[in-house]
Amino acid sequence: MIELAGVTYTYPDTERAVLHGLDLSITEGSVFGIVGASGVGKSTLAKVISGFIPHSEGGELEGAVTVAGIDVVKATLLDVVSKVGLVTQNPFNQITGARFSVEEEIAFGLENLGTPRAEMIERVGAIIARFGIQELRDRSPFALSGGQQQLVALASIVVMEPVILVMDEPTSQLDPSGTRLVFDIIDRVAEQGTTVVLFEHKLELLREHAQVVAVLAEGQIVLSGAPREVLADDRLDQWGVGSTRFTSAARAAISAGLASADSAIPVSLNEAVSYFSGGRR
Amino acid sequence: MKVSVHGLEYVYPSGVKALDGVDLEVESGSRLGIVGQNGAGKTTLVRHLNGIFQPTVGTVRIGDWETKGRDIADLAARVGYVFQNPDEQLFARTVAGDVSFGPRNLGVPPERIDELVNLSLERVGLAGEGQTHPYHLSLSERKRVALASVLAMNTPIVVLDEPTTGQDARGVAMIERIVRQLNEEGRTVIAITHDMDFCAENFDRVVVMAQGRILADGEPADVFANGEALDEARVEPPQLARLATALGWTGPVLKVETFVNRLRDSERSR
Amino acid sequence: MTTLYLDRPSPIHRLNPVTKLVGLLAVVLVVFALPQWWASVAILVLVMVPAAVASGVGGRLLLVTLIIAGPLMLVLIVAQGFFYPGRETILFALGALQFSLEGLLLAVGVGTRTAVLVAASVLLLLTTHPGALMTALTERGMPAKVSYVVSSTLQIIPAFRTRAESILLAQRSRGLRTRGNIVRRVRVLLPLVTPLVLGVFVDVEERSTAMEARAFGSTRSRVSYAVIPDSRGQQFSRWALIVLALAVVVLSFTGVLR
Repeated sequence: MIELAGVTYTYPDTERAVLHGLDLSITEGSVFGIVGASGVGKSTLAKVISGFIPHSEGGELEGAVTVAGIDVVKATLLDVVSKVGLVTQNPFNQITGARFSVEEEIAFGLENLGTPRAEMIERVGAIIARFGIQELRDRSPFALSGGQQQLVALASIVVMEPVILVMDEPTSQLDPSGTRLVFDIIDRVAEQGTTVVLFEHKLELLREHAQVVAVLAEGQIVLSGAPREVLADDRLDQWGVGSTRFTSAARAAISAGLASADSAIPVSLNEAVSYFSGGRR
Repeated sequence: MKVSVHGLEYVYPSGVKALDGVDLEVESGSRLGIVGQNGAGKTTLVRHLNGIFQPTVGTVRIGDWETKGRDIADLAARVGYVFQNPDEQLFARTVAGDVSFGPRNLGVPPERIDELVNLSLERVGLAGEGQTHPYHLSLSERKRVALASVLAMNTPIVVLDEPTTGQDARGVAMIERIVRQLNEEGRTVIAITHDMDFCAENFDRVVVMAQGRILADGEPADVFANGEALDEARVEPPQLARLATALGWTGPVLKVETFVNRLRDSERSR
Repeated sequence: MTTLYLDRPSPIHRLNPVTKLVGLLAVVLVVFALPQWWASVAILVLVMVPAAVASGVGGRLLLVTLIIAGPLMLVLIVAQGFFYPGRETILFALGALQFSLEGLLLAVGVGTRTAVLVAASVLLLLTTHPGALMTALTERGMPAKVSYVVSSTLQIIPAFRTRAESILLAQRSRGLRTRGNIVRRVRVLLPLVTPLVLGVFVDVEERSTAMEARAFGSTRSRVSYAVIPDSRGQQFSRWALIVLALAVVVLSFTGVLR
């Protein structure tokens, strides 16, 4: 579904490449998590997958980027955008200002895609119901809280039925309940077959919701695999990625001789419970 | 410096009551974490400390000053408030220029200002960026400039509004280090946060808020064991606390070392 | 949002925005084509007053029109009344100054014309939601970019006010004093205005990405989601109004209507 091979990218008017010879392969219908330190190129990678690099940002892009069967470099941004949705971290800046009500704001993308009216009405109604935002329908998108705006932004993209949804730290500015709502929607969207590429710092949630996790460091994907293995890897620290306290506790137990270094290190609460109830010998 | 809040109520001009009788005594040099959902009143409470809001009912004292009728700029000498959005305050052409804004306004002598600016930039890991234009930095670096600009004001009380939001692991470690340093210098640190693990590990007092009231107030160990208050405030306990509960342990566990010690004890008792 | 629009269940509100726009255009044409003082007064009384009453926003309309056109009317009456060169019939005198009927009528004519133009424009704005107006115009071929500039400006400007307040708070929290003499107030502007302006640039970049993510700028034919009601009757009326207004213009120019 998503194939990046040898991708190197340098922003315009800069010298250092942010991504160097990056390879990435994402299969259809999964929630694929990507972790990495700030500034390492997560947003850059998000823009490459969603076509904004090179079409919107310029700069120098080398390598092959194939997304949903489209060669991103050869296609137009519009071609890519109709298949790949992008959600970013600032809720306010994703409210376009093109429309005066939440309902019409959500429909805006469909209007631009030339969707017939009857279909628009059905799809917008369905999304509003799915996200549970009926009371927000007639309100001005600018009069909403950050969490509500992020839901509206997400609805506006998901209603376009993208095959791939790229999310660049979507919960970064939300409180815990807003975060839970977004992750609920990620699950539901993935159930319907959408491939979700999720850039996140919240490791416990990533463990719970992602099927594959990869680490971006030094301009490349340095590790990729099952969430439990990746998020318990002991090189995460050198790559600027943290660990859950469950992992830290297990490592400390091993250092203290209270656990064997052979049993799989836990990442989630349930794994930690098994581990410390006897799975660690 | 001590912070005293008595019977604080606050009603917005729109009529919404954001604080419904808050009492809080923060001892000089302590570290207080405030948690609760958005809308619980955390920010409203904390904005009374530097005079952004004036109490509708009740009093707020910063040291020996009552905030009533005092200008925000006056209280800035005692309370340094680090806002969440750096782009709502960065304006100078250089990082050093922006970081020196606060001390300049407070009337700090020029020689001392340079010292404070350099020290603050070092603390946030931006030591070489004094002459950089702030908007050439990334968002997380700009947040650090904003933090440095308040540290440079050298205030006895420092308020942090969601300092770890959006930060990666190294960013959180830096914030933890700064909280510890401020504490070692005897300053009072008050932070609003959604990160329960950060709160449990770095603060000696936690307050849980919901609907304009304080539901729980005490040491992290006690507060994070208070299931009722946490439920009502829709706040989840920190990871280690949940693990201890799930393992059937009684008593609080907030730090990894504590966890390991309890593990060792439970081994021995077999 | 920055707008005059007041939501009411009136027949004027329910009219298609383009009908109202054509109505405004017709009023403008007629009022300029007929310079006689009584023409503007006739339109005010026979067209604007009934429309104001029907719209349910007559009170606000009267207020805004008075605020804008009232002072002008007073100035005109004084200036033309006392100083109009074509004076013949003197109504009264104040010392050496003589107040003429001709001057008064001229002033009333020009003042009323202004009042009619203001009232018609404001009535359009009071009874038409900007979103509906933009949708109706875009359906008829106005570029979507124009619509976007209008809607985003109306909505984002108030958001800047909130941001300006936050900036003020942040700077005051760093010790900035805002009261005092004029010199201080000018110095205070830089730390308040700079973040506001720079913030716009940061936002614009991100928002334009969001717009592109919604496929804005696509050349596919678009149907609008919102339905703006129209009718044969209104279509006919629009043509009729234009024909009528043009007829008045022609008749006036050829000297028939004098």
